[in-house]
Amino acid sequence: MLRLFRIIAFALIKILGALSLCAAQGDDAFIRSEIRKLADEDVISRKAAIMTLAKSGDLRVEPILESYRLGEFYLWNGEMVLCRETVEDEDFNEFCLLSDVLTAEPILGADGEPTQIPLEELEEISPSRAERKLANSAKFLVRLSSPEPEVRMSGAKKCGDPPGIIEAVAQLEEMAQNDPVKKIRYIAKESLLLIRLSRTSLEQDPDAHLEIVRELGEIKSLRGLPRLQEMFDKLMVKVEALPDFEEGTDIEDLEPADEKALGIYKYAIAYKYAMNQINSYQGLVGGVGNIFRGLSLGSVLILMALGLAITFGLMGVINMAHGELMMIGAYATFEMQRLFGHTPDNSSDWYYVAALPAAFLAAAFVGYLIEVLVVRHLYRRPLESLLATWGIGLLLIQLVRLRYGDNIGVNAPTWARGGLEVVQDLIVPYSRCFIILLCGLCVLLIYYLMNHTKVGLRMRATMQNRNMANSMGVNTQRVDRYTFAFGSGIAGVAGCAWTLIGGVTPDMGQTNFIIDSFLVVVTGGVGELIGVICAGLGIGVLMKVIEPLGIGSVVVGAIWAKILLLIIIVGFIQFKPAGLFAPKGRLSDV
Amino acid sequence: MFRSESKLYSIVAIGLLLFALGMLSVEEVSAGHHEVKIGVLHSLSGTMAISETSLKDVVLMAVEEINAAGGVMGKQIEPVVVDPASDWDLFAEKAKDLITKDEVAVVFGCWTSVSRKSVLPVFEDHNSLLFYPVQYEGEEQSLNVFYTAATPNQQLIPAAEYMMEEVGAKKFYLLGTDYVFPRTANKVLKAYLKTKGVPDENIVEEYTPFHHQDYQTIVDKIKKFAAGGDACVLSTINGDSNVPFYKEFANQGLTSDDCPIMAFSVAEDELRAMDVPPLVGHLAAWNYFQSINSPENKKFVKNFKAFCERNGLPGGSKRVTDDPIEAAYFGVYVWKAAVEKAGSFDVDKVREAVYGLEFDAPGGKKMMHADNQHTLKPVYIGEIKKNGQFKIIYKSDGPVSPDSYSSYLHPDGNYPSPTGGPKEKAGM
Repeated sequence: MLRLFRIIAFALIKILGALSLCAAQGDDAFIRSEIRKLADEDVISRKAAIMTLAKSGDLRVEPILESYRLGEFYLWNGEMVLCRETVEDEDFNEFCLLSDVLTAEPILGADGEPTQIPLEELEEISPSRAERKLANSAKFLVRLSSPEPEVRMSGAKKCGDPPGIIEAVAQLEEMAQNDPVKKIRYIAKESLLLIRLSRTSLEQDPDAHLEIVRELGEIKSLRGLPRLQEMFDKLMVKVEALPDFEEGTDIEDLEPADEKALGIYKYAIAYKYAMNQINSYQGLVGGVGNIFRGLSLGSVLILMALGLAITFGLMGVINMAHGELMMIGAYATFEMQRLFGHTPDNSSDWYYVAALPAAFLAAAFVGYLIEVLVVRHLYRRPLESLLATWGIGLLLIQLVRLRYGDNIGVNAPTWARGGLEVVQDLIVPYSRCFIILLCGLCVLLIYYLMNHTKVGLRMRATMQNRNMANSMGVNTQRVDRYTFAFGSGIAGVAGCAWTLIGGVTPDMGQTNFIIDSFLVVVTGGVGELIGVICAGLGIGVLMKVIEPLGIGSVVVGAIWAKILLLIIIVGFIQFKPAGLFAPKGRLSDV
Repeated sequence: MFRSESKLYSIVAIGLLLFALGMLSVEEVSAGHHEVKIGVLHSLSGTMAISETSLKDVVLMAVEEINAAGGVMGKQIEPVVVDPASDWDLFAEKAKDLITKDEVAVVFGCWTSVSRKSVLPVFEDHNSLLFYPVQYEGEEQSLNVFYTAATPNQQLIPAAEYMMEEVGAKKFYLLGTDYVFPRTANKVLKAYLKTKGVPDENIVEEYTPFHHQDYQTIVDKIKKFAAGGDACVLSTINGDSNVPFYKEFANQGLTSDDCPIMAFSVAEDELRAMDVPPLVGHLAAWNYFQSINSPENKKFVKNFKAFCERNGLPGGSKRVTDDPIEAAYFGVYVWKAAVEKAGSFDVDKVREAVYGLEFDAPGGKKMMHADNQHTLKPVYIGEIKKNGQFKIIYKSDGPVSPDSYSSYLHPDGNYPSPTGGPKEKAGM
């Protein structure tokens, strides 16, 4: 009910706003005259014009301020014009394409063509640094009136960041109450508190100040934390100057000597309480976040290793070209993007739906060829197959490099951009959620295929006892071919998923994938699907838990986390050479 | 029987080969009067190919232009392109081959500092010349190298100053890949920030391994670090790690309004490989941008695209120019101008002629320093736009003079003297 009321109230406000906007449209002349003032000789008048423009609440003002900041305004015959684009003739003389300052539409000349003026005839208006900064922060004031939630949110946020835009207070109060988006209500409130925090001082109005501090603690404001810390540190200097202060004791335990000391202690405790509230919440969120990050890394690792678990784990081929098969999946994704014409400006998200099977097929096809041409002849010679597949990998890298060059970009589909804020300050990126899902799906698919279909039965039979399977009428050569192609295809899918979170280069297989994939398969136990899953998740979570650990300012960090992880795995392999889930029975004799 | 037969064949084959080689060298000698050889030492395979291939392309383009215009002192340039394959030892080997076997007059090459350090002794031993076109960490001065890209004070310091003065940043997250350039760059940056009164707790320094791909934890840390709204990232992340970093940054809800990233190793060529929308509004500091608005630059960009298209290079007309590409390009012209000024290909004479040389580069007038090995260049700061280009939002007042040794790392003003240079006459 309250929610409904809120939406209605907000709609009313927007309608009223739109009406007043109409009124504002009516006095375009007013905005134009203000824009003209940006070219004034007088600094004060220029700054006043910036603020007047910002407060007009007209959404067209934001690009105007941005153009002003970037120096795109010019004076032409005493008139203000906008020039965002220049063209040039054969002799590289430059011409400005003039456009209207307010509507940004090209100014048409008498012949109906856009007016082009040689650059030299225009007088550039270049704002000083102080004005650029003012225009930049005034921009956020304009954003508060935007109908787009994201734009409004960034406005609400930046208005509260130091030094804080005092002109925004009224509007922020309004938003904190009535905005239909919960997150924006929260941010508006937070920004309000932050602005007020810097406007009320402890000396003049301690009660109001401490009330704000308390509220910031209450809403667990991460943005408030650094400011509170700063104020707390300042206060602690005073506390330490007190005669009865003892090094190393908690401020809660100190015995105040007099009234003044009691006051200071009280304030310090209030700050500390608020900070603790925020910190403990952040600790909780950080912990949960770490687990998610570990799961996410783990699922990336599993996805990488799944294909290898088949080609190396099941078939026993030390497949060093595994990374390159993933690379082929990634390039297949790129080709699909090109085919569908997906660009940042013109998204056609369906390309990704087509890219998954395309990546699978492309990698499976290359895998099939590798099996038929090379690997087939080396089944009894694992070391040679290592070298041969390594060579094939190098060959594939250079082929792709010759075809595509080194720099190509795969643009993620729009649904994979950004993230979901699960609870306050815990954002889960969509792309990573998708990868976790995809990983789960692939595992299920492989499990089903292996254990509940005839094809899977043949595969397992061939891998377990080739001669017996052969004599039972299984065409083991064909099974080999398809198993290898299937494993390669899964690697291709992993490459396709990778494009959502990583880059695409010809040598991505060697630099990013091959070592991690082997690490997971070997740690998990060769030949066991469950081993790959446990090892992948284990390594992922372990890595993400180790990385942020630290004592004081010394943090483990990405480099040492990797080193430590390798040491742990080396140690682990010493005790369990066959990995987490060692193959049992007849398989272990092979 | 079979064996001796095959032996016979191989002897015949070797003989033929030797004969062919002999013919070749005879031809070379006869052609020697009309041609001068230069070496191009950039990785065309391996991890650095992503960046270095473009430099090889642009050097060849400069050579083609110069040859079409009559060559150097009437001689056509014959480029000898070799591939050191991103392997630092191979760099030294190939450099030695270029100098001793091909007897090139000059070498254009290297990207990473480690490859430059690996070829340095070779160039100094043989008193040969290298033109090095990539921004680097400084702390080096060899008379056998001309550095045509930025030293730290021509890129890092102006960028940090911009972040402080213009963006109003008070907290700095120095994030880099773990090797010599980011480490030294961050040392310089830290020393500079401290002189500006930034307290220790407002500076975080962090490194990731080469090809690091998982930036979840680091971005989470940046988010907390930047919560107050007055922080920025100064990034020396190199190569393919940039893609996952910027993606993760945007996906966790951070924008350039919340925490701008100033990058020192992301140029137009790297942006081609990235998903640009998440990067819009972030910054980079260089001495050249493709978007520099001048007729010379427009012509250069057009010619480069046409060159790539004509020669069927990957990317074709979609190729872009950037800072190292410009530096590699004008390096060839600097060498040409110096040779003509000296009237000789002799390394010592050419070296003397380079000092103080003024020249027109695509990005505007530049000048070689009168008494050190570096180049005077303007500093630009650009904001990434949706089309993968930079909007220039800051330009230094005129060119900035290079410091080969940073005054922030040598506060006492004791700079080591340059290494290498002419060999003693007695040693000849």
